[in-house]
Amino acid sequence: MAAGDMRPVAAVDGRGSLLAVVALCVRYLPVLIMLAVWELVGRSGLVSQQMLPGIGAIAAAFLDLLQSGELVVNAWRSLSRAATGLGLAVLVGMTVGLLMATRPLVRTLINPLVRILYPMPKSALIPLVMIWFGLGDVSKIFLIFLGCLLPVIVSAYNGARGVNPFIVWSATSLGASKEQVLREIILPAALPDILAGCRTALAFSFILMVSSEFVIAKDGLGFLIGSLGDGGNYPAMFAVILTVAGTGFVADRLFGSFVSHRLRWKEQA
Amino acid sequence: MSPLSLIRHRDRLLQALVLVGLVSVWELSSRAGWVHPFLLPPPSDVLARLFADMQSGVVFVDLGLTLYRAVTGFVIAAVLAVPLGIMMARRRGVQWFFDPLISIGFPMPKIAFVPIFILWFDIYDTSKVIMITFSCFFPIVTATYSGTSHIDKWPLWSARSLGASESQLLREIILPLASPAILTGLQIALPVGMITTIVTEMLMGGSGVGGAMIAAGRFADSVGVFAGIIEIAMLGMVVIRALDWLRARLLVWHPENRAH
Amino acid sequence: MTADFGIKIEGVSHAYRGAQGQNAVGTLALKQTDLLIHHHEFHALLGPSGCGKSTLLYLIGGFIPVQTGSISTQKGPVTAPGPDRSIVFQNFALFPWKTVLENVMYGLQKKGLPEAECRDIAQAHIKLVQLSGFEQAYPSQLSGGMQQRAAIARTLAVDPDILLMDEPFGALDAQTRRVMQEELRMIWKRRPKTVVFVTHDVHEAVFLADRISIMSARPGRIEHQIDTGLGPERDESTLTDRRFVELGEQIWRLVREQAVLASRGGL
Repeated sequence: MAAGDMRPVAAVDGRGSLLAVVALCVRYLPVLIMLAVWELVGRSGLVSQQMLPGIGAIAAAFLDLLQSGELVVNAWRSLSRAATGLGLAVLVGMTVGLLMATRPLVRTLINPLVRILYPMPKSALIPLVMIWFGLGDVSKIFLIFLGCLLPVIVSAYNGARGVNPFIVWSATSLGASKEQVLREIILPAALPDILAGCRTALAFSFILMVSSEFVIAKDGLGFLIGSLGDGGNYPAMFAVILTVAGTGFVADRLFGSFVSHRLRWKEQA
Repeated sequence: MSPLSLIRHRDRLLQALVLVGLVSVWELSSRAGWVHPFLLPPPSDVLARLFADMQSGVVFVDLGLTLYRAVTGFVIAAVLAVPLGIMMARRRGVQWFFDPLISIGFPMPKIAFVPIFILWFDIYDTSKVIMITFSCFFPIVTATYSGTSHIDKWPLWSARSLGASESQLLREIILPLASPAILTGLQIALPVGMITTIVTEMLMGGSGVGGAMIAAGRFADSVGVFAGIIEIAMLGMVVIRALDWLRARLLVWHPENRAH
Repeated sequence: MTADFGIKIEGVSHAYRGAQGQNAVGTLALKQTDLLIHHHEFHALLGPSGCGKSTLLYLIGGFIPVQTGSISTQKGPVTAPGPDRSIVFQNFALFPWKTVLENVMYGLQKKGLPEAECRDIAQAHIKLVQLSGFEQAYPSQLSGGMQQRAAIARTLAVDPDILLMDEPFGALDAQTRRVMQEELRMIWKRRPKTVVFVTHDVHEAVFLADRISIMSARPGRIEHQIDTGLGPERDESTLTDRRFVELGEQIWRLVREQAVLASRGGL
């Protein structure tokens, strides 16, 4: 009896990995080229070393900051705040979004709020949280929470609404209760959308983290950048800026891999 | 009126009522002192301030400045990013060189680069505009590249076989086909640009809506802060509506604009 | 013997609320439908598109509430979905994030059975539908026919009294469809159940069913009921059986007039 054909989910083998690494190097070669150009521009004297510190100087400053502990301490403060705000936003946002999709009362109550707040750039709320919570941790965590909340709510809501209704019917006919359907069927089915919303929220968390620390801070990476700039220590300032940018990039990539793994059941489009 | 549209109207009415209810609760609790009026000033006070500012013209000056910076940065970014996106889609060499730079730049919190721009340029408009250009650049180039490389190849092949030259092909076939995606990129980039404008204004202080708001914040002028929030919200809504209208005009021919 | 019926449908009408542009009453999908399906009967609902056959199936399944009339099984009146009336859909409706085994185990877990027992029963049913070896596969890795087998296994695993099938082979290519029809009969012989099978394909209905209800175009009503009388053994040779061919022609003539009406928008 014919068994039908099967499509592979992922092809992994030793030779494949080596090729992948080489391909990666080739892909990112332009970055190395840019770095080389950077160094050359600095050395040639076209631009003053003040304005564009050489890569060596930046690297040295980076190591200094690392050793003195300044970088680590401030990074910890910043990232822990961002993680808290983001984590809360994801939890609350998912719950609210899913409830909005399944209970009309919740939708009627929350939807108008979402529609008003959505086009509102959350960075504009920086002065507001400053008034409400001062310069400390709470203001930043709250800001990040608010900014990350909406993309998650919207994506959870849309994801839940887009679930194939026949899957829900199948589950109920197999004996699932309403709560079980929400937790075991709608949530996993909406997960691709929710994760996309979380990826957006992740980017927002970094942006809000940096913005708020530029404006209202006593510590953190944004604050560190500001004070290094004010003090004229430009190589160090560049070093921290690049660290922040790099961290944002790495975080996004890591999240992307996590998503690919989690959604490996999806058809490879 | 058919049942379904009746339901929709009732739904919208309910939602509007929820909003009205919330605003009323806000007004009441602020006036009655249940919530400290400093933290949450009565909406009536905020509106009064807005009115006063509008009469004195301050609002329009601030909004005008913010809009000017945002649009300038946006336009420069578009002028640079759209051609680059198209070239990336058409020439493999260009794509190979820029793709990693852009894919690294995209998820970075670009706002972190503001101090660099201040260092390089000045503390006035130039650095702001450059920063805005920088942040608008990425969504535009990505959307343009994606849109141009994913166009239907059938109209392209037909045109080629009918003897169209490369530049004709570009102008008359590729560009129109890619325009929905390009416009989407632009529609995303402008609000991004506006947010960046406001944040940079907050960082550097001075004029513009962001500057006014941060000043209000530092002077503990909560009414002013809320007034600023409303200004930004309205600006955002106006800009988005304008873009939607522009898109509908430009894409009249597209199926997405056929009346359903 | 008196209580030994499968499904009793009495005086059921159903109207969908009007979409925009329609009159306020809405579309009448079913009109005064009466039907008695016997215990362990393979019953087909045959009719053109829009005749309400799927609506009737969903009413039996308890997915939409009965507006007028009543539907009852041996367990009593139908009020909500349940594992006694399990359903198979045309688009398979498998849970895409679960493997085949996890899909089939789902209903069993909902029954509260211990994990090991769920696994065993699930494996047995996967074997029944000839899908052994693919327990760890995800639906996106399977062909249409295989996905439908998995869906059937999932439904049969909970041992429903009644099996509801909504044009289950409609999304499959003609060859796979033939294979699945034969296998479905074989499975049904080994695990007898009351089956309500919705289709618009005359030959499929005649091949599979003991009795066929031919439904009229919208608003739906059961116009004719026919015993196929083809006996329990069905396989390829049945297709050339004289009775089969005659019956097919006879039924097609009956259906044709309804099909023409349907393509003109109903009565």
